[in-house]
Amino acid sequence: MVTRDALMAGAREPEAGTPKAAATSPATHGSDDPAGFLPRDDFDRLFDLLRADGRTVVGPTLADGAIVYAEIAGTADLPDGQSDRQSPGAYRLEPTGRARLFDFAVGPSSWKRYTFPPRLPLTRGRRVDGQVTFRAIELDPPRLAFVGVRACDIAALLVQDRAFSRGPVPDADYVARREAAVVVAVECVSPSDTCFCTSMGTGPEVTGSFDLALTELDEGFVVRPGSDVGRYLAYRIGTRPATADEIARARRDVAGARARMGDPIPTAGLPERLLAAADSPHWAEVAERCLACTNCTLVCPTCFCTSVTQSSDLAGSEAIAGRVWDSCFTLGFARVAGGNFRPRVQDRYRQWLTHKFAGWWEQFGTSGCVGCGRCITWCPVGIDVRAELMVVAGPDGGGIETVEPLAPVNPTPRPAESRPISRVPIISRTVLVSHVRHETPDVVTLHLQTEDASLLTGRPGQFVMAALPGISAPPISISRFHHDGFELTIRAAGAATRALCSLRPGETIGVTGPLGRGWPLEAAYGRDVIVVTGGIGLAPLRPLLDVVLRERERFGAVRLLYGARTPSDRLFADELSELAGRDDLEVHSSVDRAGPEWLGRVGVVTTLLEQASWDGSRAVAFVCGPERMMEATADVLGDLGVARDRIWVTMERHMACGVGLCGHCQLGPSFVCRDGPVFSLGELGRAFGREGW
Amino acid sequence: MRARSDDALDALAGTWFGSRLPAHARSRLAPYLRVASYDAGAEILREGEPTRDLSIVRGGRVAIRLRVPERGPTTILTVEPGDIIGWSAIVPPHRATSTVVALLPSELLLIDGEALRAELAADPELAAPVYLSLLEALAHRLTGTRLQLLDLFTVPGAEPW
Repeated sequence: MVTRDALMAGAREPEAGTPKAAATSPATHGSDDPAGFLPRDDFDRLFDLLRADGRTVVGPTLADGAIVYAEIAGTADLPDGQSDRQSPGAYRLEPTGRARLFDFAVGPSSWKRYTFPPRLPLTRGRRVDGQVTFRAIELDPPRLAFVGVRACDIAALLVQDRAFSRGPVPDADYVARREAAVVVAVECVSPSDTCFCTSMGTGPEVTGSFDLALTELDEGFVVRPGSDVGRYLAYRIGTRPATADEIARARRDVAGARARMGDPIPTAGLPERLLAAADSPHWAEVAERCLACTNCTLVCPTCFCTSVTQSSDLAGSEAIAGRVWDSCFTLGFARVAGGNFRPRVQDRYRQWLTHKFAGWWEQFGTSGCVGCGRCITWCPVGIDVRAELMVVAGPDGGGIETVEPLAPVNPTPRPAESRPISRVPIISRTVLVSHVRHETPDVVTLHLQTEDASLLTGRPGQFVMAALPGISAPPISISRFHHDGFELTIRAAGAATRALCSLRPGETIGVTGPLGRGWPLEAAYGRDVIVVTGGIGLAPLRPLLDVVLRERERFGAVRLLYGARTPSDRLFADELSELAGRDDLEVHSSVDRAGPEWLGRVGVVTTLLEQASWDGSRAVAFVCGPERMMEATADVLGDLGVARDRIWVTMERHMACGVGLCGHCQLGPSFVCRDGPVFSLGELGRAFGREGW
Repeated sequence: MRARSDDALDALAGTWFGSRLPAHARSRLAPYLRVASYDAGAEILREGEPTRDLSIVRGGRVAIRLRVPERGPTTILTVEPGDIIGWSAIVPPHRATSTVVALLPSELLLIDGEALRAELAADPELAAPVYLSLLEALAHRLTGTRLQLLDLFTVPGAEPW
C-alpha cells in the first residue's frame, strides 16, 4: 500500500498562471515530464491505486438526471457516452454515440462540496450554572481523490484557496481537506453553450495545480503528471509514452473546445466598468426577472459565504455551532439590528455581480468568476451573466451613462500587515462577568475579567464576538479596557443581546477577539480631535476618549459631541457630566426629544456642529452612530474644512465570523469585520451612505 | 427696551443670523431692534397666538415646544444663540406655530414684525437678503427636523441577534 506520506511527499507544482491565450501545448504544458498514455481498459488501475492509498475517489457520475460529483468506485460509475446539453435555464443529458467517459462540460455540483462542505460543525459549547465552556470540534478530514477536475474547476479551487488558505485567518478545515486531496484533472473537450472559461482565462487547457492531468481520446488518455504525487501515480499505473499522434489529437480536441467557446466577454477593464455602473437602472431590470433563489451561488464553485447555526439539546445546556453555506441573495444576509442593508433583489444581484467580477480583485487579487457557466444553466429563469455583464458594463458602457467608480480595483490583494489579527484563535475564550451596570432602560455594561494578554492589548474601536452556547455570537465593541479585563456595553435588541444583557456577576461568557481595525489615534497626534457620536455609538469611542485624555498633551483641542434619543437614553451620563466639568475638552450633548424637565439641548447631533466657528482643517474626526447620522455629520464636518481622509467612521454590517471568512459584512471591496469596522471616508469612497451596499 | 442704535448694530452683527445680512440691511433693521431678557421658565411665545416679533437669540437657550394632550409639552428643538425664533412674524398668518420657553436665562434681539413687514414690502433690496437669511435658517431647521423624524437612535422591530 502506498502511504499517504509517500503519495504526498512532493509538493504540487507552483500555481499556474491563468493566461488568456491558448497554452502552448495541452499535452506538455505545466510539466516537463513527457506525456504518457493510459489505455481506457487500464483506467481502473488509477482508481485501484487511489483506493489502495486509503482514499475515497470522487468523480462524475449520473444521478437525478444530471452528471454530478459523488463517490465512485471506478470506470463503471463514470457517465460513459453521455453529454450534457446546457443553455440558460436548461440542462439535459444526451447520449453522444461515442464511448467516452468525460464527454460533458460540468454539472450542478462542484468540488467545493468536498473541500468546503455545505455543513460543518465548528464548536461545542456548554453552559452549566452560568459557566460556559467552548471546545473546537476536531475533525479528521477525509482523504479524497478528485477525478475529472476541469481547468475551470482547478481555477475555482485556487480562488477558494485565496479566500480560505491565504487570508489572515486560515480556515483550518479547508486547508486540511485541500492538502489531503489528490487532483486528477481531465481537460475539457466538450464545452457547453454556457461555458466561457476562455474569457476568464481559466481553460479549457489544464496548465497547472494538478497532480495528474488527462486528455481523453477514444482509446484512452494522454497523461501528464503535475507533481511528485502525479509522477508516482503515473509510474505505478504503468503508462507508456504517448505517441506524437496521440499528443496532437489531444491538443486538437482541446483547441477545438476553445474555438467553440470563443471569447464572449471582453474582460479588459471589466472591474472598473462594473463599479462605474453602480447606479445603472439595469440592476432593477434584472431584479424583475431574478427570483433570488440562491441557485447561482450554490452551484458557483467559488462562492464562499456562510452562516453560523446553533443546534442545542433539549435542556439548552449544550449546543453545537455549525457553519452552513449561505447566499448573498437571501433576504436576511445583510440584516442587522432593526434594519437590512440590502433589502431589494436589485441590491443583492448587484452585490453578487460586483463582488464576483470586481470586489474579488481587491480582496484576493483574482476574479471570483472562472467561467464555468453553472450559474447560467441552473438559473431557473435563465439569467445569463454574460449578457447581463455586457448590458450593464459592456465595453461601450452598455449605452448607460456611467458615473465615477466606487473605488479603484486593485489587482493585488491588500498587504497582510494591514490585517494584524492572524493570532486570533477562532474558538471563544471564557471570561468572567465581574460586574454589571445598567446604563439605560435597554443598555447594560458588562465588566469582564480575564488574564488573556491578547484580550487586554486591544485597540480602541476593536470588537469581540460575544458568545453564549446556543445563541449566535454578536459583534460587540469594547467600551473600556482595564488592566485585568474590559467592558462591553450592549443594547438588548435581539435574542443574543438580550441574553448577554441578562447576565449576572459570577457567570461567564465566551469571547473571540479583539477583532478588526481600531481607531487610528496616531493620525490625530498634534491635531484637534472632534468626536461625534450618537446613541450606543458612544461605546466604541469611550476607549478612544480614555486614551486621548490619558495622553492629552499629544492632541490639540478636543471636542465631544453626543446625541441621544431622549435624556434617559444617554449613555454614561455621569461620565459625560464629569467630562463636561474638565477644562481641557469641550463636551456638547443633545437629544432628539425631551420633556419640560430637560434643560439641555434638543435637536439632532449635527445641529451642535452647524454654528461651530473652529477651523476644521486642523482636526481629525472620529464618528460613530447610525449610518445616516454619520452621513449628515460628515457633510457638516466637510463644510467646516475637515478633510475626508481625516473623518473616521465605524461601519455596521451583519457579521457571523468576525474574521473575514463568512462574507456577510462585505461593503464594496472591504470586509467590515477585518478591514474595518473603522474606515476613513476616503477609504470608503462612494460606498459610504449608499443605498443597497 | 429699545437698544441704542450702535449697540443694536453690533449685537445684530454678532449673531449667526445677523452676520449673514449685508451691512446695509443691518443698518435698515437697527432702528427696529429691541433687547429683551427672560428668566428661566418664562414663556416667550405661545402656540396659536399672534407672533409680534421676529427674534434672534443672543444669549441663553430657548425651547420650541409642542403640546401633546396626555403627554404634556414636548421639546422639539432648542434654539441656541445666533439663531432665530418667531419667523411667523414675517410669514402669514403671523400666528405662532409652537410655544417658546426660556430654558436658561435668555436674551433676545426683537424686531417688530409689523414694521419689518412694511419695510420688506417697500424695499426689495432689503427684502432679498433678509428673506435669504430667513430661508437659510428655516432650511437648517427643516433638515434637522427630518433627521429627527427618522428617529435614528432607536431599534425598530426584531433583528437576528
